[in-house]
Amino acid sequence: MSTAESQDIEQATSAIGAPDSKTRRYDRQLRLWAASGQHALENSRILVLSSSATATAVLKNLVLPGIGHFTILDSAITTPADAGNNFFLSGLESVGKPRAQEAVQLLCELNESVEGEAVVKDISDLLQTEQGRAYVRSFSLVVAHNLRKDVLDGLSLLLWNDLSNPPLIVVRSAGFLAEFFIQFHEQCVAQPHTDETPPSLRITRPFPALLQWARELDFDKLDPTEHGHVPFVIILVRALDDWRKSHNGAPPSTSADKQAFKAAVREMRRKPDEENFDEAEAQAWRVWQEPAIPRDVEALFALSPLSSPGLAATLPSSKLTPETPNAAFHALLRTLDAFARSDRGPGCLPLSAALPDMRTDTESYVKLQTAYKEWAGIEKAHFKELLGEKFPDIAPLMTADQLDTFVKNAHHIRVLRGTRWGEWDTGAGTLATSLTTYACEAATATHLAFCALSTLLNDNPDGSNVTVESLKTEIRKLVGENVELPDEVDAAVGEIARAPTADMPNVAAFLGGLIAQEAIKVITNQYVPVKGYCVVDLVDSWTSIIGQ
Amino acid sequence: MATAPTSTTTANGNPSAADWQDRYHHVDQVLDRPGPRTDPSFLAGDEVKAFLRTSCKILVIGAGGLGCEILANLALSGFKDIHVIDMDTIDISNLNRQFLFRQKDVGKPKAIVAAEFIMNRVPGVTVTPYYGKIQDKDDDYYMQFNLIICGLDSVEARRWINATLVNLVDPENPESLKPLIDGGTEGFKGQARVILPTVTSCYECSLDMLNKPTAFPICTIANTPRLPEHCIEWASVLEWPRVHGDKRLDTDDPEHIGWLYKIALARAKEFKIEGVTWSLTQGVVKNIIPAIASTNAIIAAFKIATSSAAYLNNYFMLIGTDGVYSYTFEHEKRDDCPVCGGQALDISISKEWTVDRLIEMLVEKQDIQIKKPSLSTATKQIYFQAPPQLEELTRPNLERKVSDLVENGDHITVTAASLPFNLMVRVTYV
Repeated sequence: MSTAESQDIEQATSAIGAPDSKTRRYDRQLRLWAASGQHALENSRILVLSSSATATAVLKNLVLPGIGHFTILDSAITTPADAGNNFFLSGLESVGKPRAQEAVQLLCELNESVEGEAVVKDISDLLQTEQGRAYVRSFSLVVAHNLRKDVLDGLSLLLWNDLSNPPLIVVRSAGFLAEFFIQFHEQCVAQPHTDETPPSLRITRPFPALLQWARELDFDKLDPTEHGHVPFVIILVRALDDWRKSHNGAPPSTSADKQAFKAAVREMRRKPDEENFDEAEAQAWRVWQEPAIPRDVEALFALSPLSSPGLAATLPSSKLTPETPNAAFHALLRTLDAFARSDRGPGCLPLSAALPDMRTDTESYVKLQTAYKEWAGIEKAHFKELLGEKFPDIAPLMTADQLDTFVKNAHHIRVLRGTRWGEWDTGAGTLATSLTTYACEAATATHLAFCALSTLLNDNPDGSNVTVESLKTEIRKLVGENVELPDEVDAAVGEIARAPTADMPNVAAFLGGLIAQEAIKVITNQYVPVKGYCVVDLVDSWTSIIGQ
Repeated sequence: MATAPTSTTTANGNPSAADWQDRYHHVDQVLDRPGPRTDPSFLAGDEVKAFLRTSCKILVIGAGGLGCEILANLALSGFKDIHVIDMDTIDISNLNRQFLFRQKDVGKPKAIVAAEFIMNRVPGVTVTPYYGKIQDKDDDYYMQFNLIICGLDSVEARRWINATLVNLVDPENPESLKPLIDGGTEGFKGQARVILPTVTSCYECSLDMLNKPTAFPICTIANTPRLPEHCIEWASVLEWPRVHGDKRLDTDDPEHIGWLYKIALARAKEFKIEGVTWSLTQGVVKNIIPAIASTNAIIAAFKIATSSAAYLNNYFMLIGTDGVYSYTFEHEKRDDCPVCGGQALDISISKEWTVDRLIEMLVEKQDIQIKKPSLSTATKQIYFQAPPQLEELTRPNLERKVSDLVENGDHITVTAASLPFNLMVRVTYV
């Protein structure tokens, strides 16, 4: 965890002394999503359709970390079978009582700061009225488990129809198989925590203080201890500066150049055991592998913000207003583009103040860190100025934290564009291709088996019409009659036919974990949620993503 | 299966009394008939149900984040005779994921509270708790179970139970082979695995897959601190013993953490280092691994599912930070595994190396990691860590060259008090 994140946690505690009881309770998760993520969770309102074993397993993992509110909407009355497979029902005592009420009571015991409500109604009735539809739309996230197909189709369309509607997580499970899909328009992730691209240290584009330090350092005059403690960043900046002077300003580019550059770094060392020079050589890749702008980030500059059907008529798509979905993020993204192209800027993304540890003495490290912080501050001020100039309406709505987080993570930011639930299933050709694509066969077969099951259960909820043959007939309707079904279809369909309505406690717990993780990502805008269908097979122990 | 008598038989434990009609409607769908990929040896129907619900006896080691999940899953799946071992008491920081515990339970033993909770919530299940260490129990105890599932957070404890179960295997007695399901989580990531002792790769075989703990060199801590972590290590490793003498640092005591925080903060100020916080101090000295309910649920559920469908073969990894990525593979047995391999581990060292240097290497080597090794050959005692008389007697050997004590190509037996195994090392000199 970075120091900055731990400082966030600390802000929630008293200035000195032990943290308060809330911070202590949430300590292990604050280390993952910090106070900002916790705040987002605490402000969330989640609607869960069904109080099945899977539905309560999802909720358990959301109530424990402290969401703000949840509602279970379910008209079911607890059966003896429910009482046997659901940890959040009181055994036989719950039988005959509304399942949602029984479950909410036991779920609320998990965390006193979470508000839970049971609504004993049928979602299909709610969707009939404007008031009911507005109610469903008022939540921050909706989760549906094994919802009847026709109701789910209506619900997913309703939520897709407006950009401001909540995301919907659709979960289907039977026996050892399951899948889930998140219907969302756009996820803007400023803190993906994936860290595959380390932020640039600006060795190829040194800021003035860094270049000055590297140029003015007289390596020959340093005493042996000092020489063995020159930070590798300074060594590389100096070596590159020297290289450029003798190569018409060009950096090393060919393989021979790179070897020669590394040799030059080796030449600079005085003794063979100077670890700071080892580090400089090991980090030399930064001289030729650090792009000005990571390709994934650059690709985002071309992205137009989404516009609602209604808005599109009145606004050109490039126009950003406070009403645009994720307006703040898009304003920041465009400012980032402008910053990278600005004559006054460094020609790349703003400097991150984060400095990795390196072999050096305290004084040099602190001096280097201070130099990075100061320059990062200067570039952030420039960034902020550009933001204010370009987006005078949006800039004032942003918090300092939001801006800081974005700039700090500019090298990693991600934007995901989702699709409507069921859209993928309308393309027979796409499905047939996926069914024969290497490594996608089994997952596609399982997804199709679930589509077939949903259709069959729509008419006979007890599963009495679910057979291997009836499932395969439905699958053929989806992929085309002439498509030869691979063996993976038999493997999936056979498993579904074995247990078409089984909500197994283990599978429920597994899904409860996976889906709660995704819900947390969607709510906090941290970490990267799944795009497409996540298919789970606990017979052969795998998960797979298809239809991205 | 094992025939050792159950220590507790309560009216509650009588399965037929509490099993209502349709109780297992969901689970029975997969138990009543095989699927297309079910192992032919799986006998669907009443027999498997009877085994699960009346005779099968399971041990859960650890009643923490994973343990709570495992216990609930087992109980709902129909297992009626469950035992649980845990030596810890409940802390407030457990409550964000260990869902069998409440605020009022803080300070109570985890095993006991968890067992009571499960028995209250899931009628007819008997959970027998043991509040103590796994090392307190002998082979007879472990022999009584059909399956052992671990929800441990310590490498030492895992190595102990793994070696114990490998040693338990008697080729003449199939019942002595106890499948072990293990796993762990960190943040949005986790892994689970099945170990069939002596058959598949064991915990010790994969020791080199563990992340090396971040260790800061003492000279950095003492002379050139740069990070807040260096200041915290200075406070705990150097200042605490200097100021408090023999008084043990208790990382669960807020006053101790508070003291370290204050000292680390002062040092950071002196060196103009930013970022020392209470939370970081606690994280560094306790080596805290972030943990959430959802990941524990995934990994624990996976472990149980893996015992009810086909056994996982044999390693499952999950990375949930960027989408959901999982990877299932077969981790291979190591022939020179000190626990299950049987073959000696070849090492080549300099002729000049002292015994002390060799010990240092054994401690650091990623695939060995023995904390306090004792060394001997078939004929000689080289160095023993205990008892004190033997230690004193063999101590002069530490300064001697290994090559003066052991012939080229000879074997050294390495033992450690904390682990029930002997490692055979074959030494060659270069």
